[in-house]
Amino acid sequence: MTDLANQIITGLSIASILLLVSLGLAIIYGVMGVINLAHGDFLMLGAYAVWLMESALGLGFLPCLVMVFFIVGAIGWLVERTLIRHLYGRPLDTILATWGIGIILQQAIRLSAGAQLRYVKMPDYLVNPLHLLGLDISAYRLLIFSVTIVLVAVTYILIFHTSFGIRLRAVMQNAEIARCFGINNARIYSLTFAYGAGLAGLAGALVSPLKSVSPDMGTKYVVDAFLVVVSGGVQSLFGTVASAGIIGELSGGFAYFWNDTLARALLFFLVVVLIRFRPQGIFAMPLRRG
Amino acid sequence: MRRIFISRGHIIGYAAFALAILVVPLFIDDPYLLNKLARYLIFGILAAALALSWGYTGILNLGQAVSFGLGSYCMAMTLKLHTIPIQTGAAGLPDFMVWNNVKSLPWFWEPFHSTAFAVVAGVAFPVVVALLLGWFVFRARVTGVYVSIITLAMLVVVNLVIVDQQRFTGGFNGLTDLADLKLFGIDFDPYSGATYYLIALSLLATLMIGEFVVRSKTGLIMQAIRDDETRVRYFGYDVARYQIFAFCVSAGLSGFAGMLYAMVMAFASPTFLSVQISLSIVIWCAVGGRESLIGSALGAILVTGIQGGLSETPAFLNTWMLIMGALFVAVVLFLPKGLISIVQLGMARLAGKKISALAEDEAPLPRGHKLGIG
Repeated sequence: MTDLANQIITGLSIASILLLVSLGLAIIYGVMGVINLAHGDFLMLGAYAVWLMESALGLGFLPCLVMVFFIVGAIGWLVERTLIRHLYGRPLDTILATWGIGIILQQAIRLSAGAQLRYVKMPDYLVNPLHLLGLDISAYRLLIFSVTIVLVAVTYILIFHTSFGIRLRAVMQNAEIARCFGINNARIYSLTFAYGAGLAGLAGALVSPLKSVSPDMGTKYVVDAFLVVVSGGVQSLFGTVASAGIIGELSGGFAYFWNDTLARALLFFLVVVLIRFRPQGIFAMPLRRG
Repeated sequence: MRRIFISRGHIIGYAAFALAILVVPLFIDDPYLLNKLARYLIFGILAAALALSWGYTGILNLGQAVSFGLGSYCMAMTLKLHTIPIQTGAAGLPDFMVWNNVKSLPWFWEPFHSTAFAVVAGVAFPVVVALLLGWFVFRARVTGVYVSIITLAMLVVVNLVIVDQQRFTGGFNGLTDLADLKLFGIDFDPYSGATYYLIALSLLATLMIGEFVVRSKTGLIMQAIRDDETRVRYFGYDVARYQIFAFCVSAGLSGFAGMLYAMVMAFASPTFLSVQISLSIVIWCAVGGRESLIGSALGAILVTGIQGGLSETPAFLNTWMLIMGALFVAVVLFLPKGLISIVQLGMARLAGKKISALAEDEAPLPRGHKLGIG
């Protein structure tokens, strides 16, 4: 029984990281129709930002988290303003441009910080496990879990309960008509992109103490996030959350029986089979983007 | 079958290209250089294969390296089984299997004792994989960016599995110490003229097959699908069938290129299925001109040629990749039809036509997003 409970908690922990990564990806795609292939590299930037601030400036981990969100968000904003903005209406080209940006970021880090693995120290007060309901739960994983819940809540409020959210939904539903009502689409787009990038950076910062930090660390995370986005359907926040949960639990479960790699392969196979029958994702409305 | 008129410029271009790559070895003594050129031509095949699915059918396959890698492993497996016994364990077991405590040859390695089987499998296996994926994806009417991220996800997954299954695939190191391919009494030494000519002819054959496909009625429908999939469907065509066809042809050609690459490099490794290779293929196509087969091939030869000509040290390669990333973004932004469009524009000017190859690139009006979150 404890085995099962532990397994579920491991799955939840995988799921919450997955959700952090996918959330930014899904928001950017949902609002702008852009698949951001540089998303994994924004994540990597977040991890490096923490590493730099911790080792060079001696900042604490939690203040770093807040800083990283704004730093990577600002980089995202800059990328949108200078490049992505010229490519709306050419979806395949946005994939290419963001891929190119990803490579530039990756190589820039590789050339400046070096290709070797870097390590971020986990803060002392989060190392020891907590005893909850008769289980030992890693305090750090609990932190990730709570940050994820907070961010999903913030995103939900942002979209559904702020005037920015109203404008954002208007642009999503019909960009041209939204503009006729005096909404500044360009501003919405750049803020959304910045927010998504900031989320990726934060995700990178949060995983940095768990795994080593390397220039190509983003690839693996972003591929899993693709699977979440494809199977969840991008049009709904709920879909992203639910499918991150399912995929996280499944990959935790498969990995328990085989290993991480085969778990990922099996998941990929399942997702491909799934889209044959529900191409719009499990949780999407029965409508399709035109 | 109706053919689109082939312009004189086109024929001259192809003839000059064919002549150039066939004559080059006559002026080269250095086997190492010849081997390098042969590699560039293989990249040309890959780029042309991607142009077929991306430039002509609108399927941006970010996992092209899967087909390339599978082809290369098929060839490497048979060559591995033909190496001299020093590099094999008891009963001809490949060395890495001995190190990994594998006692007998796995069943799926058995047929690779036959070179003929391997040559067929090197094309057929990638095609079958593409067929399966294509059936699931295109039958579900999944298109555009979704196809791209699914193919990219597949690439990463296949790569991880090959690295993971070290006992059967050699893991990170891949398959090394391969024999030369011997076919029809010719020994295809990687550094020989015979190998170079095999590859040059393969590239020309690829371009011919490609031109034949895109100029056929099927090719016309493929291009129509690229431009407006829904409209083609309303005309009553089975869109998915044409997409799967283009996807498979492209995969088969890439698998073939992979086989040649394993021969030339005398090894196969997971780096052949890396995201980096896939990205490079897309960059070559974009730089050369995704909507032109020969343009893409030239893009590959040009880019890799410059890269190889400058330096091949790791430090340089990192800087080079940075430059490529920037170049890539620039091409996507400013020259969506690649360098070949400049050539075409020049030729059109010379011919006194008022056709502007660049003017067609006006981006379509942004489509409003019809759906919202929640």
